[in-house]
Amino acid sequence: MEGARPTNSEERDGRSKEPSPSELLDRSKMLNFEFNGRRMSAFEGDTVASALYASGVRIFSRSFKYHRPRGLLCVSGRCPNCLMSVDGVPNVKACTERVRAGMKVKSQNCWPSLEHDIFSVIDKIGRFLPVGFYYKTFINPPIEWSRVEWIIRRLTGLGDIEEEIASATGKGPKDGRSIISSSFEHLNLQADVAVIGGGPCGIFAALEAGNAGARVVLVDDQPALGGHLRYSGETLSIDVATGEGAYSGLKSSAVASTLEKAVRDRPNMTVLDNSTAFGIYESNLIGIVRGNSEIRLRAEQLVFATGAHEFPSVFQNNDLPEVFLGRGMQRLINLYGVIPGKRAVVVSNNDSGLGVARTLMDAGVKLEAYIDSRKAVGAPETLAEIEDAKVQTFLGWAVKEARGSKHVSSIVICEVDNEGELVHGTERVVSCDLVSLSTGFETEAWLLNQTGSRTIYDELLREFIPRELKPTVYVCGDLTGIHDLNIAIMQGKVAGLSAAANLPAMARSTELKVEYQRKSLETYSRLVSQYEGKYREGMKHTRGPEVLVVEYPGSDKMRKRFVCVCEDVVAKDISLATFEGFDDIETLKRYSTVTMGPCQGKMCSMPSLHLCSRVTGRSIAQTGRTVSRPPFVPVAMGALAGAELHPVKLTGIHYKHIELGARIMDMGEWKRPHVYTSVEEEYKAVRESVGVIDVSTLGRLDVKGRDAGKLLDFVYTHIFSTLKVGKSRYGVICDDAGIVLDDGTVTRLSETHYFITTTTGNVEFVEEWLVWWATALRLDAYITNVTAGLGAVNVAGPKARDLLRKLTTVDLSSGAFPYMNSAEGEVAGVPCILLRIGFVGETGWEIHFPAEFGEYFWDTLLEAGKEFGVKPFGVETQRVLRLEKKHVIVGQDTDALSNPFEADMAWTVKFEKEDFVGKAALVAAEKKEPERMLVGFVMKDSMVAHDGDQVFSQDGSRHIGFVTSSRFSPKVGRCVGMALVSPEYYKEGSLIRVKSDDALNGAEVTLAPFYDPEGKRLRA
Amino acid sequence: MRALFRKEKMWQRHKLKPRYDVVVIGAGVHGLSIAYYLAKNHEITNVAVLDKVYLGGGNSGRNTAIIRANYMTVEGVHFYSESLKLYEELSKELNFNLLFSQIGHLSLAHTDSAVNGLWRRAEVNKALGVNSRVIWPDEIKRMVPALDTSDRPRYPVKAALYHAPGGVIRHDAVVWGYARGVERHGGEVHPRTEVIAIDVKDHQVTGVRTDKGEVIRADCVVNATSGYCTTVSKMVGVDLPVVTHPLQACVTEPLKPFLDKVVVSANLHVYVYQTDRGELVMGSEIDPYSSYSQGSTLETLESIVAHALELFPGLRHVRVLRQWGGLCDMTPDYSPILGEVDGLKGFVLDVGWGTYGFKAGPVSGKRIAELIATKRTPDIIRPFRLSRFREDRLVSEKGAAAVSH
Ligand SMILES: Cc1cc2nc3c(=O)[nH]c(=O)nc-3n(C[C@H](O)[C@H](O)[C@H](O)COP(=O)(O)OP(=O)(O)OC[C@H]3O[C@@H](n4cnc5c(N)ncnc54)[C@H](O)[C@@H]3O)c2cc1C
Repeated sequence: MEGARPTNSEERDGRSKEPSPSELLDRSKMLNFEFNGRRMSAFEGDTVASALYASGVRIFSRSFKYHRPRGLLCVSGRCPNCLMSVDGVPNVKACTERVRAGMKVKSQNCWPSLEHDIFSVIDKIGRFLPVGFYYKTFINPPIEWSRVEWIIRRLTGLGDIEEEIASATGKGPKDGRSIISSSFEHLNLQADVAVIGGGPCGIFAALEAGNAGARVVLVDDQPALGGHLRYSGETLSIDVATGEGAYSGLKSSAVASTLEKAVRDRPNMTVLDNSTAFGIYESNLIGIVRGNSEIRLRAEQLVFATGAHEFPSVFQNNDLPEVFLGRGMQRLINLYGVIPGKRAVVVSNNDSGLGVARTLMDAGVKLEAYIDSRKAVGAPETLAEIEDAKVQTFLGWAVKEARGSKHVSSIVICEVDNEGELVHGTERVVSCDLVSLSTGFETEAWLLNQTGSRTIYDELLREFIPRELKPTVYVCGDLTGIHDLNIAIMQGKVAGLSAAANLPAMARSTELKVEYQRKSLETYSRLVSQYEGKYREGMKHTRGPEVLVVEYPGSDKMRKRFVCVCEDVVAKDISLATFEGFDDIETLKRYSTVTMGPCQGKMCSMPSLHLCSRVTGRSIAQTGRTVSRPPFVPVAMGALAGAELHPVKLTGIHYKHIELGARIMDMGEWKRPHVYTSVEEEYKAVRESVGVIDVSTLGRLDVKGRDAGKLLDFVYTHIFSTLKVGKSRYGVICDDAGIVLDDGTVTRLSETHYFITTTTGNVEFVEEWLVWWATALRLDAYITNVTAGLGAVNVAGPKARDLLRKLTTVDLSSGAFPYMNSAEGEVAGVPCILLRIGFVGETGWEIHFPAEFGEYFWDTLLEAGKEFGVKPFGVETQRVLRLEKKHVIVGQDTDALSNPFEADMAWTVKFEKEDFVGKAALVAAEKKEPERMLVGFVMKDSMVAHDGDQVFSQDGSRHIGFVTSSRFSPKVGRCVGMALVSPEYYKEGSLIRVKSDDALNGAEVTLAPFYDPEGKRLRA
Repeated sequence: MRALFRKEKMWQRHKLKPRYDVVVIGAGVHGLSIAYYLAKNHEITNVAVLDKVYLGGGNSGRNTAIIRANYMTVEGVHFYSESLKLYEELSKELNFNLLFSQIGHLSLAHTDSAVNGLWRRAEVNKALGVNSRVIWPDEIKRMVPALDTSDRPRYPVKAALYHAPGGVIRHDAVVWGYARGVERHGGEVHPRTEVIAIDVKDHQVTGVRTDKGEVIRADCVVNATSGYCTTVSKMVGVDLPVVTHPLQACVTEPLKPFLDKVVVSANLHVYVYQTDRGELVMGSEIDPYSSYSQGSTLETLESIVAHALELFPGLRHVRVLRQWGGLCDMTPDYSPILGEVDGLKGFVLDVGWGTYGFKAGPVSGKRIAELIATKRTPDIIRPFRLSRFREDRLVSEKGAAAVSH
């Protein structure tokens, strides 16, 4: 079978006979799934990896660059070795993905199969790909980069998302986007204390903080709480001083279950299991991913109990399948009942290796050898047990090389000298089918560092430990570099108690309890430092060479010492890069790509640091670490994005437009009718009888207060404090630089009350801008955005008055209701504000009314207008109508540099006002020759120019500007438009050329409107 | 192939000398290219480039390295297309493969006014000889099959500006290539050396002081910093009309290739492309507030990703691997500030690079070097002088650079 080690059938059932109590499996429930097209079975609770491994699969992936076979390593989602595609989703970690019935699992980055991958020839020529290979090659013809790049592109990448894309874009086997869009969501939570990490110390921190009355959220990425207690398989010995002596003598997994129950039963505690905190952001905002959800947790206090992870040491062929990390091996055995192999060796440089040896022996795996680079161990009693079991132990030895082609078949070990180098000539071969590495811990400080708290390298503990914690931040457990359960429990209690004690008084509990808690805090803090002292003493005794990267004369020739399994970076790459000048850990990372792969440096950061420090002769502390950026684990884009919610704004008349068969377009968030029948027909109605258009999308603001006029004088360029009640006036808003931001009408409804319209997309901005200035100037003016509350319709055309007269008693005669005036009154029984303005250049009223009457109002207008041939018209017709009048649309006929002078609207600027936004800039602008001017033009022939076409001088030699708007004008019979051009063309009759469809077409400048230049029709 | 296995140092660690002809503050693409062209084109080699962090540790190591010339203004198009041409030859010139991938650049429009803007850009570009044209959904779909060009999205794609010579480059390689070039021509690069003061006497710059207490003499000091250009200019009392904003980006796990264009949507505030390694790089416009924090925020990450999914709904299960931020010095018109300062001799600005300055490294280095060597401002950078703000002669690229960078 694919990726499987050749075995006979009996061995394929690689599970322990008896289920162990620590198992997460329900052996009574079988699930079937598919792996590379084959049917596989699993127990409920299995991960994809555990089920595959138990069925004999050993090769789980092919590596990124050299396509080397890779097997399980960390079994905890920390390394890249088991990335697979699950149901079309690429790069899923098989070791943390639970099996679901019917799921389809496929291997990645190999062809034709995991076992036989053609591209593994790259591995054979591996020495041709030194670090920086691409930078040094493909520079000169004939094999330039531009010629070879496409080939290299094909060869890279890991997961394939073709299926997903096909289905999302409507071409794949799945149907449309619906299937994959549904389930992502965002959730918001708050807590007094957030505890990250649900191992023993995290649990005790949570319990203590909870006891003190705090609302606690406990976050853990595993399905079951308890951290390493779940899988270490040990019998605990716990000191009474910790207050938890009762757990002594019990199996660790049983204790984990008891503790888990204790936290889950607490009322003020939220447990988020299967949840990974991926980033700590400003103000204690924690980003958490749980399945398809992103949870945003905001907490007053943060307790980090994130532990430490193991990483492999670096020796020849250290990446062979069946070379495991110790804790990964323990997980496989104790959580999933898998028997990982038959003959194992344990390679170690710390006491956890002894525990792994025990786990293996307990599981019935034959231990061929225990190898430790130290001369003394911290748990001699366990070592004695191992020796009693007739296992060969090698103290002061380390592994030099693993052998085997696709599976490990033996290792070569060597004696280690005092400097940590292997002693030449001491080689011994130990044959085995399983290697377990307990070669180092790295504190999981990634998240902690994101709070701005520092970590420093501790020479004795050989780990980066927390220092200079930010306020509201606490740490405990393995994260502190100390691997001792007694200490962890007490550290957890101290962290929980301190976090609670620093909460604002409200969140804390009664006086009595507070006193008790203060005392326990004191006691445990004292004990922790005592015990830590002892622990450090102990470390001094057992300390020996660390041997993270094995070195011996000639080792630099060994090119398969993998530092980074994500990117296939080998030891030699690191030393070469450092030599070349990339001796700063930050540049080393970028040049060699070490720490930049999917595991984000979890496997390679320490070994690469050691190598760099060795080559440069600087200490680890001096070499330092790279910045840890979120996310801590790769997070699905869908989870980050959450449910797809896109606001759509509809006017109160929207569905009437649909009934009328209008073609709908987007205008910002609004939907508007583009055209109902045809522009010609609609145009004709407005110019010859009457048309109606839904303008409910206009922004409407209500400004009230003693200083309302003053505010508007300051914000607009025109004057409004002198505007007579009942009158309307056009207004322009500029920024400090005198650039036009918005325009609209301002109507004075009473001494202290104005009604403003803004352009469709800008109302929020204008509202903010007015509020800001009202506040800054301390004015008595109150701004209310009434856009959503009001509908509006513009009724325009020579018959507009006749139509409206049927529906209202308001006197609409020009004498009583002249152009640029307003009135309040009823139309069709609906209370309205009527403004007599004329964007489209005809007699007309813009009528604003409560939005809920929209449909009724619209229908009534159309009904009443029937006898006049009324037509609804859309945005496109309006564009033509207004263009004929040369009415400017801000943002279309102006751009980010246009001031009112350029836009030919000098008349809107009143310098006699004391001060207003943009005055200084406009005063300066008025004095100097403008760089461009907005002009109208008429095309000479039948050509219709596009908005955005470029404008040239008559002889075509000089580029002088561009077209802002242009349309065919029924009135003129040719295309008309506006253009921003060099000022010398601001002259009636100037000749210009518009470059359209690659031809230079003649046009003539006109300064007056194309339609009704005197504005007689407007005023009629 | 031989050269491949030769062990060669790219650069040395130097001791600072007491005097240089030119001191450049900032070892990003701009500072390094100035020093490079000073040596190469003008034989001015007694030059030191100082940086407070590691080589390329500023924006040059944080940007998403989109290179293009399809700008909006005449001045901008001239300037950026010269840079693009220099980039096309740069790998050969530096004998270092900068992995310049001219995969083509698409700016999408989702609204009518955006379509007009694209049309205007296309026409300016064509008029000035830059390869750029407006294309419609059918053709867009053929170029980028993974893009949702249907009418299902809230803001369907209406058109795009296609700029074939645009693309992306390996930003770190550019920095390293130039740094090696500087060293090979006799200049010096000094990482982890911060300038804390600039000495001035009688309106003439005389040197700089470093955080380690060194005093260095130089009659010409170039401010080629980014993120901190105002604070460095303040050292000589020069105020710049610049506000600093964070800009963030993120990258996903590597995927098999499916996207070989840079896709930008100004309407959706997002851009996306796939690197040669298979990762997707995504970014946005500047954060709305000014700040000196290089930390990243969850809010911006969510928004970048959500908008990217509007374009590419098939990416929901693709995972984000890393996010980061840089500091952008924003000028009012989204154009840089280049050249000398009135009334202060020997102080040269190469700043105001906002979100768009990586692509301009070669041209501004070359032209600033020319200015320093000849004491004359080359025409191509004259529109970007500091005094334009007083003269009200802005070069507005906001429409073409707010999201596109
Ligand atoms: C996320 C992001 C994406 C971007 N995307 C693009 C893109 O796609 N295309 C594009 O063209 N541009 C892009 N940019 C912009 C681009 O990165 C910058 O404009 C460009 O890198 C500026 O180069 P520089 O050499 O001026 O600055 P930097 O590379 O920042 O170099 C300036 C250096 O000055 C140093 N310095 C500062 N103060 C001192 C001091 N007192 N003493 C000594 N040294 C000092 C800094 O440490 C820094 O290294 C992006 C920027 C960001 C943040």
